[in-house]
Amino acid sequence: MASSLIQRPRLLGGDEAGALILVAACFAVPILTRNILAYSVLNQALIGVIGAQSVWIMLRMNLLSFATPAFMALGGYTVAIAGEYNITDGFLMTAAAFLVPALVAVPLGALVLRLRGTYFVLVTFVLSQIMQLLLFETPRLTGGSNGIAGIPAATLFGVDMMSQRQVLFYTCGLALLATIVAVALTRYFRQHFASIEENEILAESLGLVVWRYKAMGFVVAAGLAGLAGYALVTMLLTAHPSSFDSVVAVDFIAYTIIGGRGSVLGPIIGSLLLVYATQMFGTQGQYAQGLYGALILVVITVARGGIVGSAAALLRRLRPGRRATA
Amino acid sequence: MKYTLALLSAATIAIAGLQPVAAADPCEIKVGAIGPMSGGGAQWGLAMQSATELAAAEVNAKGGLKLGDKMCKVTVVSYDSKYTADGAAAGANAFASQGIKIMIGPVGSPEATGIKPVAARNGQITWNAAYAKNSLDPKYPLAFHIAPGPATWADPMAKYVLKHFPNIKSVVLIAPNDQAGTDVASVDSQAYQNNGVKASEEYYQRGTTNFAPIITRILASNPDAVDTASSPPGDAGVIVKQLRLAGFKGVIGRMGGPGTEEILRVAGGTDVLQNFYWFETMAVTDQMRAIDDQFRKLLGKDPIGGTSMWGDLPAARMTLKAIEVAGTADDAEKVAAALRTLPVDDPNMGKGVWAGQKQYGINQELYFPFAVGIIKDGKQVGITRVDPNS
Amino acid sequence: MEQFIQAAVIGVSLGAQYALLALGFTLIFGILGVVNFAHGGFYMLGGYVAYSCVVQLGLPYPVGVVAAVAAAAALGWLFELFLLDRLIDDHLATLMLTLGLYLLLSSGLLSIYGPLSMEFTFPVTGSLRFGPIYVPRENLIVLAVCVLAIGALWLILFRTDLGRALRALADDRRVATAQGMRPKILFPAAFALATGLAGLTGALVTPILALSPSVGDPVLATSFLTVILGGLGSLGGAALAAFIVGLVEAFTSVYFGGSIGALVLFVLVLLLLVFRPTGLLGRQARGA
Repeated sequence: MASSLIQRPRLLGGDEAGALILVAACFAVPILTRNILAYSVLNQALIGVIGAQSVWIMLRMNLLSFATPAFMALGGYTVAIAGEYNITDGFLMTAAAFLVPALVAVPLGALVLRLRGTYFVLVTFVLSQIMQLLLFETPRLTGGSNGIAGIPAATLFGVDMMSQRQVLFYTCGLALLATIVAVALTRYFRQHFASIEENEILAESLGLVVWRYKAMGFVVAAGLAGLAGYALVTMLLTAHPSSFDSVVAVDFIAYTIIGGRGSVLGPIIGSLLLVYATQMFGTQGQYAQGLYGALILVVITVARGGIVGSAAALLRRLRPGRRATA
Repeated sequence: MKYTLALLSAATIAIAGLQPVAAADPCEIKVGAIGPMSGGGAQWGLAMQSATELAAAEVNAKGGLKLGDKMCKVTVVSYDSKYTADGAAAGANAFASQGIKIMIGPVGSPEATGIKPVAARNGQITWNAAYAKNSLDPKYPLAFHIAPGPATWADPMAKYVLKHFPNIKSVVLIAPNDQAGTDVASVDSQAYQNNGVKASEEYYQRGTTNFAPIITRILASNPDAVDTASSPPGDAGVIVKQLRLAGFKGVIGRMGGPGTEEILRVAGGTDVLQNFYWFETMAVTDQMRAIDDQFRKLLGKDPIGGTSMWGDLPAARMTLKAIEVAGTADDAEKVAAALRTLPVDDPNMGKGVWAGQKQYGINQELYFPFAVGIIKDGKQVGITRVDPNS
Repeated sequence: MEQFIQAAVIGVSLGAQYALLALGFTLIFGILGVVNFAHGGFYMLGGYVAYSCVVQLGLPYPVGVVAAVAAAAALGWLFELFLLDRLIDDHLATLMLTLGLYLLLSSGLLSIYGPLSMEFTFPVTGSLRFGPIYVPRENLIVLAVCVLAIGALWLILFRTDLGRALRALADDRRVATAQGMRPKILFPAAFALATGLAGLTGALVTPILALSPSVGDPVLATSFLTVILGGLGSLGGAALAAFIVGLVEAFTSVYFGGSIGALVLFVLVLLLLVFRPTGLLGRQARGA
């Protein structure tokens, strides 16, 4: 992305505005239709959007994180355990689902953020595995391998979000919140993140206190993952360890990379497309995974920079006079 | 002239008789089959699918289900729930969007946990095959249970096993550390203890492929028997192989789900197993084997799943019958009510009973006589029916 | 005391299995910079090819093993040449490509062979006994093959021109290319070498353990863990780490049980990485 040294910095870039509009537009589905399949697919896609954005924030700093499921579990189980005491207020739970993983991310970040590259990938992978084992070893708190079933619905202004439609509304809200947070963070600290992504050592030598921004990114990414966990648990009405397995991280990473890691629009488009594809392939039974793999191969080989990146490149080529937008 | 008239009348009557009574409106009933169809549990999900397909094919061969004055064809729609809670929930929603209110499946404990609340919200019937502690719940009256879990049969099975192997005074159970593992092993452990056998449980990390270290740990306590509980058959086969390689001469058991054939394959035969007992969902008879032939005849391909598929079949057949009795496939509560009135009597599987009140508080599980298989001193003693106590 | 020795013996056998896998994985990362998510897939492929040769075609077991290596190497060669090569510098893209390949491989094997485990036993059975300690013969053979493989790899990499070229490419690709080494031929060769090794491991180990379309998943996790512990790109490190992981896994499982044992192993690796980020014998932390 070209820097904005010459242009006057705008409040929102084209991509970011587009992202916010797209997510906000999802509200149209529960408002305008009654189709349960659309509700189900969109709900899953939006959970994917939140999780993918968590991965995307880390990718802005050239760090690939497999820890998303671990932070999702923290968010999801916090809400489930609160539900056992009948605490279901939407605002309170949203804050809790964001803050609990974020707070845990602070000491964890201090530990793991000094690693880079593939070492960082592995450590985050190990974190997810450790979370699964912790869930198993704490049956009284988390229900162990059975999880916590039959969680009460979230309440917004005293109204229970019970029906499919209400749950989707709620998820749309969470997704919009997550997008706003992601956009705000990366927009405000655009240049800092960009320089870390380009060349961390150089940035540090130029005076950037790199670890602060890495920590901020890690903590916010953890919080977003927590929100994704909240959305998932609300959709299923159950907090179960199998929902937070490390393979879930692969899904989010796929959405972000295939969608395009260059802009916040990427994880959103990637999620919407791939969740829809999985749903379509789901009825193919045993061939589902294979078709998914083939799709990944095709997109990566043909569409560099992900879908959004390629689309942007195509647009640039079609309009040679325009300046490159940031 | 009279001859021609008579001939013409006869012909007309004959032709009229051959016509269907009413020109049927093409109507279609869709039934869902859900379970893991990829990954480790694929055979069970595919078995669920095969069972549902067979039940549908049988009904279609007779012209379909009679709803009101229409003969409706039954089609089966499958969904791969991938052995996860959210996969199952997604499947329920996918079916709901197609107006499918009747589901045969899912299979695994996490799936059963995940699907019940969502199916309840959508008003759908499910038939889970899990051996979970929460397979049935009075909170979810539309959830049915395909076959009983160890809560029902572990105790009678333990008694039967001890008759054949009276020297078993201590047993170690080994199972993976997920819900399917813990729900079964803990119940088995209790059943052993109730019958005077010291029992302890060892859980292994899912994904373990080499069990030599755990086996060393188990053998340190010198048990008389090692029970593989609900470990997946691939794992159990390796455990058996490695137990014998380590020199374990005791009895090996499997108070868990199906898969003994696969275990035999991986382990390498009955002489490796030596002394082995296992739970069978049924004592296989020729009538049950005929199910596979029936499948091939009606569908023109091979069925998947063996005894798993046979075990799933009565639920599928009874549900289709219940749809006919209720007169609708769209009102799950009516179909459930009709289902509860049907006797448990299957043409291939024989007679059974409705069960579950004692264990779960709701009587919605199909209980056919189960069986126990014994291999003694390297030889197949056979699979014997065990009559349930309750 | 016997338990201790037995645990050590088991740890060494585990280490040998892990080493064979880790060597291939670290080779690919060291030379090409690719994280091979499909490693488990090549392992399974090797197992199934050997199975088909031995059980379905009736060929002798060693022929099956050779066929397995050939098949895995061939697939690796083609995959690198046609798909990986153009995106070789984008580490994330190559990661996704290998992931896609893995999904295709496991799905394909599932469709062809079905979900159940195959009957595939190792031709050599029985164990050697030393008092209360037992050592299965099959494990000794795997250990022997492992040592041979490490030796052969060392020979190739440090005593042949091919190896020198590969090491040069790993060190600094631009200079190496300027010196006349051709990545177009060498990269597929390196990838094929590594995947062939994975296929060999599959052909050897699946008859000892189990063969089904889901046995590839834990392979990736273990390879990943081992290679990072040993230091990315370091062959010696990978081999050393493999034996350490094997021993730690054996001891923690024997003394703490399967579940806690895994937790201990992960926490130990986590702590080690935090205090020594390049792994045991690794060099520069290579970016991903």
